Amino acid sequence: MPPTSCGPTLASSLSISGLDAGYGSVRVLHDVSLTVGAGETVALLGTNGNGKSTLLKCVMGIVRPSGGSVIADIDGTRHELIGHSTEAIVELGVGFVPEGRRLFPRLSVTENLLLGAFRRPARPAIARNLEFCFETFPRLKERSRQLAGSMSGGEQQMLALARALMSAPRILLIDEPSVGLAPLLVARTIDKVKELKEGYQLTVLMAEQNFTQAIRIADRGYVIVHGRIEFAGNSAAELNDNELIRQFYLGG
Amino acid sequence: METSFDLLSNAVVSGVLLGGFYAAVTIGVSISFGMLDIVNIAHPAFIILGSYIAYIANATFGIDPILAAVVALPAFYLLGVAVYQIYYLAFERRGEEALRGLAFFFGLLFITEVILVLVFGVDYRLVEAPYIGPTLHVGAVDLPLRLLVPCLVALALVGGLQVFLSRTFLGRAILAVAQDQLALRLMAANPVRIKRIAFGLSIATASLAGAVLIVIQPVEPSIGRDYIGRVFAICVLGGMGSFAGTLVAAMTLGIVESLTATFYGPSWAPAVAFGFLLITLAVRPAGIFGR
Repeated sequence: MPPTSCGPTLASSLSISGLDAGYGSVRVLHDVSLTVGAGETVALLGTNGNGKSTLLKCVMGIVRPSGGSVIADIDGTRHELIGHSTEAIVELGVGFVPEGRRLFPRLSVTENLLLGAFRRPARPAIARNLEFCFETFPRLKERSRQLAGSMSGGEQQMLALARALMSAPRILLIDEPSVGLAPLLVARTIDKVKELKEGYQLTVLMAEQNFTQAIRIADRGYVIVHGRIEFAGNSAAELNDNELIRQFYLGG
Repeated sequence: METSFDLLSNAVVSGVLLGGFYAAVTIGVSISFGMLDIVNIAHPAFIILGSYIAYIANATFGIDPILAAVVALPAFYLLGVAVYQIYYLAFERRGEEALRGLAFFFGLLFITEVILVLVFGVDYRLVEAPYIGPTLHVGAVDLPLRLLVPCLVALALVGGLQVFLSRTFLGRAILAVAQDQLALRLMAANPVRIKRIAFGLSIATASLAGAVLIVIQPVEPSIGRDYIGRVFAICVLGGMGSFAGTLVAAMTLGIVESLTATFYGPSWAPAVAFGFLLITLAVRPAGIFGR
């Protein structure tokens, strides 16, 4: 049984509007607006260098945007995220699985997971969440005492996901979960994202360049090209039929 | 043969006791240098400051030096917090900590020393306590209380810190802070705050280490310099950031020094000890317990 949060679960959503961002004189995002509705899984699709990571980093307070707003509605309370520090945004209930996983390589699997629960609201549920993580990822239980840095790429991605869940987020942002994984592992990782999302009633925004895998679990999707949202597909089927997607992914 | 065995066992035991003392003076550096990547070469100066606090409390009010050090722990913690805050604002935040940070701590070492010289002069100071003098005899082995009490204090200090680091949220964040600061932010922890607390703790240990030092030997302001080499050697030998490693390395160094002093004469002790360090690092570059 996946754990449920204490009390009635209110849904959480994310709304990004008019976001501009760049590095120095290079503009990376141009007036980007998108929404992730309560309980939705939304895919942010695009190939490398189109601004997917920058967009997620703006939401997390890692990159400071030059304009626009990011509103997170968490269990009925509205928060403007821009201007907050990364740690404050995580404390509010927005979790992030970064590109490259960013585990603590010289700490054990268990120590990494327990650090995930540093967030105060996550601490009371720590035993339950740990059990759920080990149930969902039996490999992590087998390797609980192993150093995170010594595990394979697939195991590390599982640990990164599990660690983010230990913080009991309401909204989860995932940056390229498929990067560096063998095709079979990509499919398995994407399946796990869906499983976790359902177990925790999460709202998920997932940046991914593996289009076919991402739309298997996405309710909706946005295609980002050169820092602009060029297409918003309201269903996986709509995305599948889109001309842009064909251009990008099928070389048409 | 009987006497030489007694000599050997006595040398090993006093080496272990000496090692306990070395662990107490090194544990703070194991935190600052081993876990936070802060090269605090002024640590021995803070230890000497701890010795003088214990001395004042003992000479003026007749308080037990180790008890005085326990009372002074919060003050040393706050001193560490303040020093880190200056170091962070002036160097670390700008990414200039490598060389200028080192110069900062070097300066701190001399300033602390000079202040102590100006206030107390260069005479050796010592404390009085019931456990300075008596010796326990277990079979043929002598256990001078003057060395046994500091060793027990050191073990309690290391054990307590180990429990704190491995069992608390704050402790685990301290273990993680040097590995990936952005990742720590994603755990809802502010790395600067975590480092400030950890550095405060590392300086707090100097209070106890200082009391232990003045119990073992008389102290004058510049004596801390004798320990800089040893302290960093033990920290590296044990493996960066590992308390178990620090303890084992401190004991090993203590035993090697004590055996050398007993059988070849005290002047050889540092040479043999550091030779041992070099050989160990050649075989195990990450240190005994290095991860």
